[in-house]
Amino acid sequence: MLVNVGLVQALMSGLLMGFVYSLIALGLSLIYGVMDVVNFAHGEFLMLGMFLAYWFSVLFRLDPLIAIFIIIPVLFLVGVGIYKGLIKRILNGTRISQILTTFGLSVFMANMAMFLWTPNYRLAERHLTSTTGDLSIFGVYLGVPELIASVGSILVFAFAYYLIRFTRTGRAIQATSIDSEGARLVGINIDNIYAITFGLGISCVGAAGVLLATFYYIFPYVGTFFSMIAFATVALGGFGSVEGSFVAGILIGIIESLGGFFISPAVKYAIVFMTYMVVIILRPATGLFGW
Amino acid sequence: MKKGIVVVCTLALVLALGGMAFAENVIKIGAIYPFTGPMAGTAQMLKDGVEMAVDIINNKYDFDFLFADTEGLPNLGGAKIEIIWADSAGDPKTGMSEAERLITSEGVVALIGCYQSSVTKTASQVAERYGIPFVNGDSSSPQLTERNFKWFFRTDPHDGLYARQQFEHLIELEKQTGESLRRLAIVYENTEFGSQVARAQEALAKEYGFQVVEKLAYTTGATSLNSEVTRLMASKPDVVLMAAYISDQILFTKTFKTMRFAPKVWHNTAAPGEPDFLKSVGDDGNYLFLRQGFCADQVVNKPVIGQILEEFRNKFGQEMLADAVRSFHAPIVLADAINRAGSTDPEAIRQALLETDIPGDYCLSPWEGIKFDPETGQNIHSQYIICQIQDQDFYTVFPSEFATREPVFPFPSWDDR
Amino acid sequence: MPKISRKTVVTVLLYVGAVVIAPLFSKAPFYRHVLIMVGLYGLLGVAWNIMGGYTGLYSFGQSAFFGIGAYTSTMMLVKAGVSPWIGMLCGGILAAIVAAGVAYPTSRLRGPYFTIASQAFARTFQILMTNWDYVEGAIGIPLPLMPDTWRFMQFKDKIPYHIIIFGLLGIAILVCYYIANSRTGYYFRAIRDSEQVASALGINTVRQRIIAAMLSAFFTAIAGTFYAQYVLYIDPESVTHHALSIEIVMVAAVGGAGTIWGPVLGAAILMPISQYARAALGGAGRGIDLIIYGVIIMVIALVRPTGILGFFQRERTIEGEGGDDVDTTITAGTGSDDAVRGALGQS
Repeated sequence: MLVNVGLVQALMSGLLMGFVYSLIALGLSLIYGVMDVVNFAHGEFLMLGMFLAYWFSVLFRLDPLIAIFIIIPVLFLVGVGIYKGLIKRILNGTRISQILTTFGLSVFMANMAMFLWTPNYRLAERHLTSTTGDLSIFGVYLGVPELIASVGSILVFAFAYYLIRFTRTGRAIQATSIDSEGARLVGINIDNIYAITFGLGISCVGAAGVLLATFYYIFPYVGTFFSMIAFATVALGGFGSVEGSFVAGILIGIIESLGGFFISPAVKYAIVFMTYMVVIILRPATGLFGW
Repeated sequence: MKKGIVVVCTLALVLALGGMAFAENVIKIGAIYPFTGPMAGTAQMLKDGVEMAVDIINNKYDFDFLFADTEGLPNLGGAKIEIIWADSAGDPKTGMSEAERLITSEGVVALIGCYQSSVTKTASQVAERYGIPFVNGDSSSPQLTERNFKWFFRTDPHDGLYARQQFEHLIELEKQTGESLRRLAIVYENTEFGSQVARAQEALAKEYGFQVVEKLAYTTGATSLNSEVTRLMASKPDVVLMAAYISDQILFTKTFKTMRFAPKVWHNTAAPGEPDFLKSVGDDGNYLFLRQGFCADQVVNKPVIGQILEEFRNKFGQEMLADAVRSFHAPIVLADAINRAGSTDPEAIRQALLETDIPGDYCLSPWEGIKFDPETGQNIHSQYIICQIQDQDFYTVFPSEFATREPVFPFPSWDDR
Repeated sequence: MPKISRKTVVTVLLYVGAVVIAPLFSKAPFYRHVLIMVGLYGLLGVAWNIMGGYTGLYSFGQSAFFGIGAYTSTMMLVKAGVSPWIGMLCGGILAAIVAAGVAYPTSRLRGPYFTIASQAFARTFQILMTNWDYVEGAIGIPLPLMPDTWRFMQFKDKIPYHIIIFGLLGIAILVCYYIANSRTGYYFRAIRDSEQVASALGINTVRQRIIAAMLSAFFTAIAGTFYAQYVLYIDPESVTHHALSIEIVMVAAVGGAGTIWGPVLGAAILMPISQYARAALGGAGRGIDLIIYGVIIMVIALVRPTGILGFFQRERTIEGEGGDDVDTTITAGTGSDDAVRGALGQS
């Protein structure tokens, strides 16, 4: 009986976290799929989202759930700015120069955050949801912040999915990701598409940061932990695959949680990575859904 | 070529910067702390503690404390202490090279630091090799004082002592309440620190006849601790003994609350005592037990604590917490030894350190004093106190001679608060 | 590419000369420590380069092999009193065997999939080492302190370490040089430029990839043993950490992947910058040195997309497929070519 409750608990917790992983992975996958750039600074944008949520909650007393509507556009602009100032210059560069640039950016961002905001640990204050308790169903406990974060992640993910699949710009993004030369020939402004894609990718991971900010501690180097998961997620789902990110995020959340519960928490990430290795060896060069 | 010039210029700049630090009649002490990386916040607190001590040594204060009534070290013509800071980034290799640099390039006469025990290990190896005293106040690995080093001294107690006090506390709680606390769950982060604590706890559990129902290592910086807590709940412990650093401690507290997990006793290392902990979790942090080297309520036993806390508050705009106190003792001990030695000769300082006998009145921690075991270099008077968080503040509850409040027992369920 | 043997002799003499003269500029141990770090990371960069530079497989998992080297020799020393020189060789061979075991199943992976697989492998390895009680898990192993001895590779002075690490680096460079000019090197480059074409030409790509992985792991593990003997304390956090894998890639990439001297130059640039910047600014505790480090890396990447030496080797690498296969090529595409020319014009 106990094991069953534990099993359901582990499954549910893993699932909730999995949705957040999906959203984090989406940005990374999107940027790679369209622009062919592996963004090693991805985790630092998550950190940026978390800090923005924190500052909005402290300075303007805005609940992260409201602030997210401001932060997403802000991060979109940040993304576009970084694309125009930096990423654009390495698009045609070598793979190694892309690694160097985005890695340099990640070192820069993490330490800049440390310089500006000190290395202290914080949590964003909730103003809307702080009164509501936690849910309990048949002995399975789910935290409201985690629930909100996962529902929020699904919504943002769905919105991004809609943008990519069903809007004119989205179709242009898809066309570019399949064949950028062809897209250029039919009159798509590739540069704009790249800028939008980068901004969109950054908004997604930043939104995940905002949603995490109410229950996960915030500090300048927080991105590294999540980027580790994000890379495994994206590679598992297939670089460039939107659906793949979604499924792989959930899978990794559940594997992490079940592995921690049944085998040993000390090796739960080893289990995640080994699962990834097995999948990738069985389906090389694509992941689960890649193309 | 161009890059050569850049390298040479960088070099020249650095050397020039180094040269500017030159000043008259100062005694340089090197301090290595993890100023970058995940422990950077703690490092700032440790740094403030050292600076407070140096301030008292170098300037006049009108309370009764070592060096408070003088400026600098009287036996060395009022020489002032200057701290040369170095960043270890929490990396043993960097700690080693920085220790070496401080000794050879900066000419420090002694070293303090380095917080993480792994870094202290390599840095103190360097000190041992060069024959430079190393006084540590803020690393708790028992191994450090088991190496028979000649030049290594530690003011703080270590994790082995801590674990013993923890069990003594549990036994006393059993006596006070008549409840059985025999089912233990040991939760520890998978690092040097966590493993050492868990190892000591497991051995003592056997010695005192406790049953370890779950021994759970977890990965630091885990993105989620749900499965850890689920497992813990399944083992139904009376007591959770946790060894975590601050970041995971925050997440554990959040997760315990989410899952409504309330063991009778939740016993922790020092992490909940860090300033960011209560700031982050607020009243969810109440009723945790934690070990401390210091607690502000001890001012009732030693009034001078109040005055130093006041000075600290004025100087740094925040409360002096246990981490700052840990690092505070080391420069005081060194200044005292150098003063008695009357010279900065390393061997003379070492002899003076061996003869150190600072009375308890001059320790912020609840010790009878500071006196080093000549074999190991461990302060023989050192001990921890066990505090509990009540009303979002820290109160000593054990040992009873220091206690200022009754403990709240058992840990209240999350719904009845 | 045929090489004039006189040029080789001159290069060797220059290298030996530079190695001998370098430590004489200053007696400060910190300066000599920085030099040793240049040698250590140079060796790691050269080892990475065998895979990353020549074969085009960007490994982000070198820390695992470094850890194997450090732990093998240390365990042999601590448990059985075996000289680290023998331990070094054993560690290297063990790492090569493990590398072959990893390279075979991953031999169909390319581009970022390979990169992430290597990273996942190294992370898994770190977690396993942290939980393995026989090697003291997270607590780590302090090496027994001894008086100066060549037999057990332990010295108070820096100079013997300096000689050892640059000797090892010299050997690694020679091996690299030999490979680059041999048939194997040709196979490696063919795989880098296009694995399909290489395969079509009858090259056994799986076999070549395994050879590259083994060579790379061997030298990385040797560096691991050196580290253990130099720092005299190892734990999973310091010898198998992911940050180490990234540092290695940085060294090679900054100097110029795919060139013999690139990784050495990269180490010679990055190590002094990071070490001296930390010494000067790290004590302030605000991460300023790392902010500068990040900016420098970005600037180098923007100005010299193929690394500092990579530029000079441009003609050689650009002969390939012309950037058709983005995943494996490190040749400059036309766009960055212009950027490089622009940079040249400015400087």
